[in-house]
Amino acid sequence: MQLNYEKLGFKCGLEIHQQLEGKKLFCDCPTLNSDKDPDTRVERRLRAVVGETGEIDQAAAFEMSKGKKFLYLSNSEDTCLVEYDEEPPHELNKQALETAIKVALLLNAKIVDEIQIMRKIVVDGSNVSGFQRTALIAMDGFVETSKGKVTIPTICLEEEAAQKLKGDKDFVRYKLDRLGIPLIEIATGTEIKSADHAKEVASHIGMVLRSIEGVKRGLGTIRQDVNISIKHGARTEIKGFQDLRSIQKVIDYEIKRQQKSIEENKKIEKEVRKAEPDFTTSFLRPLPGASRMYPETDVLPVRISNDYIQKLKKQLPKLLTEKTEEIEKKYKLSSNLAKEAINNKIFESLVKKFDKIQPVAIANTIITIPKEIKTRFKIDSSKLTQKDFEEVLEYLSKSIVTKEAIIELLIKKLKGEEIDLKKFESISDEELEEEIKTMMKEKPGLSTGAYMGLVMAKHRGKVDGKKVMELLKKSSN
Amino acid sequence: MKPEYGDVVKVHTKEETFEGILMPNKETDSVVIKLDNGYNIGIDDKKIKEIKVVKKFEEKEDQLKNNIKKDDKKPTITILHTGGTIASKVNYETGGVISKFSPAELLEMFPELKKIANFDSRLIEQMFSEDMRFVHYEKITHAIKKEIEKNIDGIIITHGTDTLAYTSAALSFILENIDIPVILVGAQRSSDRGSSDAVMNLICAAEFIAKTDFTGVAICMHEKTDDNNSVILPPCKTRKMHTSRRDAFKAINDKPIAVINYDTRSIKFMKKDYQKSSDKKLVIRDSFGDKIGIIKCHPNMFKEQFDFFKGYEGLIIEGTGLGHAPVDPPQKLNIDILESIKSLIKSGTIVAMTSQCIFGRTHPHVYTAAINLSDAGVIYCKDMLTETAFIKLAWLLGNYKKEEVRDLLTKNLRGEINERITNFI
Repeated sequence: MQLNYEKLGFKCGLEIHQQLEGKKLFCDCPTLNSDKDPDTRVERRLRAVVGETGEIDQAAAFEMSKGKKFLYLSNSEDTCLVEYDEEPPHELNKQALETAIKVALLLNAKIVDEIQIMRKIVVDGSNVSGFQRTALIAMDGFVETSKGKVTIPTICLEEEAAQKLKGDKDFVRYKLDRLGIPLIEIATGTEIKSADHAKEVASHIGMVLRSIEGVKRGLGTIRQDVNISIKHGARTEIKGFQDLRSIQKVIDYEIKRQQKSIEENKKIEKEVRKAEPDFTTSFLRPLPGASRMYPETDVLPVRISNDYIQKLKKQLPKLLTEKTEEIEKKYKLSSNLAKEAINNKIFESLVKKFDKIQPVAIANTIITIPKEIKTRFKIDSSKLTQKDFEEVLEYLSKSIVTKEAIIELLIKKLKGEEIDLKKFESISDEELEEEIKTMMKEKPGLSTGAYMGLVMAKHRGKVDGKKVMELLKKSSN
Repeated sequence: MKPEYGDVVKVHTKEETFEGILMPNKETDSVVIKLDNGYNIGIDDKKIKEIKVVKKFEEKEDQLKNNIKKDDKKPTITILHTGGTIASKVNYETGGVISKFSPAELLEMFPELKKIANFDSRLIEQMFSEDMRFVHYEKITHAIKKEIEKNIDGIIITHGTDTLAYTSAALSFILENIDIPVILVGAQRSSDRGSSDAVMNLICAAEFIAKTDFTGVAICMHEKTDDNNSVILPPCKTRKMHTSRRDAFKAINDKPIAVINYDTRSIKFMKKDYQKSSDKKLVIRDSFGDKIGIIKCHPNMFKEQFDFFKGYEGLIIEGTGLGHAPVDPPQKLNIDILESIKSLIKSGTIVAMTSQCIFGRTHPHVYTAAINLSDAGVIYCKDMLTETAFIKLAWLLGNYKKEEVRDLLTKNLRGEINERITNFI
């Protein structure tokens, strides 16, 4: 049943976290996300730090009450003393800051004059220091959507948390390779109107992020948290979406959960909940208060000059959507093929190199055909190199082979078999016409389709199907 | 109304208005405010047209009650603070970190201390570790003396880590035959963060005082980077060996006195011959010489570097290897250096030799440089740490006659000299 979001008093905002490439935010470790076996193992504990009010932050107190010890595992290839809170942070990674500022500019936000690095108290162990370093870099952005403007009040640059592993009775275990990877946090306003709309906004922001170089791609490098509340309900933050597609269902399930509690007169707590694979949510921890931020005095603030912003504005890339449209028109590709072509690093250079071949054929050679090889022939086509593609395109360009031969040639390349070009040489129209005439004489009375089948079986990879059909029609008349 | 730190303000620039709490900022030419979401941002001074006060800062009253019940069955420990902070609170409104020193504040933050002992706590004076002078040792001694008179069971001194080991050596020399434990505790991570090593070191020190018969001065710090064990380290043979790690403090040419497990609170002694309670009378000598220097040997030295110490009462040469300075003839530059050292000694400066190797013993006879130096009157400090030799020489000069000083410097008084080095690290 479609929910009436307006009547429900539905309020929803997104928090999008995107990992960046390069070095970590406050040290010189690489951001590998590697699977190296740990060579370091450290046991630690955390305490909540008491605020001026004499109160410990609710979320922090909850974690402390669990009285857990933490076990940190790491490999020295991607972790140093900084992640272990055994060395003060280095200065803020300027490359990551530049990427974050570009993202903020593409999201129409205003960059703050001076970036102050803060410590946000986190004592669940996911930050060895007991806090996450975070800085507000831009405010008051927005994106245009099908249901109007959605505001982006804040864009922050922060440290990624450590990755939780399976724990045991005594320890909560974490791996530290992820800790400290630069993370952009984009928070939207609550103008999101429905579950569908939430998905639209999330994918739009995701598209903007992917438009910029220096942003990580792939599984786990972008995460969406959703904040939801309904009338008489309470704000819950839902984390850990497997992928964008589950957002709608999880939102609707959470609304229903709150509705049920309201009907049953149960108190709904402000809390952080985890999205489960079956789209329901489960309690994770209480919602942290605003009372958990204090300045990171070990890192100097960063002044952002207007000249620098102007310089970056000039370097802003086109959005992926704009680029797709452009490529679609320029090379006459389908929109799906265009989407893949812009993510392909060699497409445009091949188009330039082989100007006699239609771009669509090049796109098919490097995108569609490898996919087909994978699905139809179950061969790992990712091993094809630029050199392989260039060789095959070279034959096509010199009309030594036809388009139809490409798939077989690439398979031969993958199998490491020698290519006998004679087998693929296209035969001339005259030869083909002659052959068709002979065939019709030998086997009279078959349908055009049947003749077609016979010709293609004999000359697969050497002749163009369209041409055969043309000749068949001509000969039967 | 003039805006002050802590006030809720509206900052107007040409294009925008920001609302938040005005924060202290001395470092840059911008106005820093804390926004509603907890983040601080800086606004360029030049862009600001006006800052309006929305709400004046109101100091919240501390509602802590100071009536702490004393448990007569438990020992009483006094915590004397010298700066650094074991207990600090974050002020979320101004974002500053406030040091807390009163017993009530301490117990509020570390309620588990109540199970170990009765606590008294006060600040002697904010002393920055790197700014320490001999006069500070006198102040600490004075505070310890007052506590001893109250008949308490032990003292914990909180101390910045930079010169903590100098202070422990100094107190060890000052407080001869002290009949209670005096444990120096530091933290390599400030206590305003959840991962601070301060709490564990403090609790382990308290357990050590409460549960053992140890008397005298010692240091309590992390054994390793893990929050597992703290170690009790010898006051005159411990050195800060890392700029930032929790386990920076290591016993050199010696081993820790004891290890305390934070989980089980069990204590294991590594040394059997530690100081225990005795009938010997406490002798306090808290005078120090005035000008004592340290010079580190390195390639390409000049005599002027040694001449500089003319007029100093004492000089520790941190020599290379077994205790060498560039004094071998026939090079003129070397002969000049030896002459400079000789002239220092002749003018009354006591010159002593340690090694920059840190680990191991000096030797006055193996190489000619050492023979030349000891012939000139340089005193070889055996396996003493440079820092300890410096403190000991200063202390001896403050309390003994010159001829006694020369003699006592190489005599083991507080465990500063180890005649048998048995560990292979």
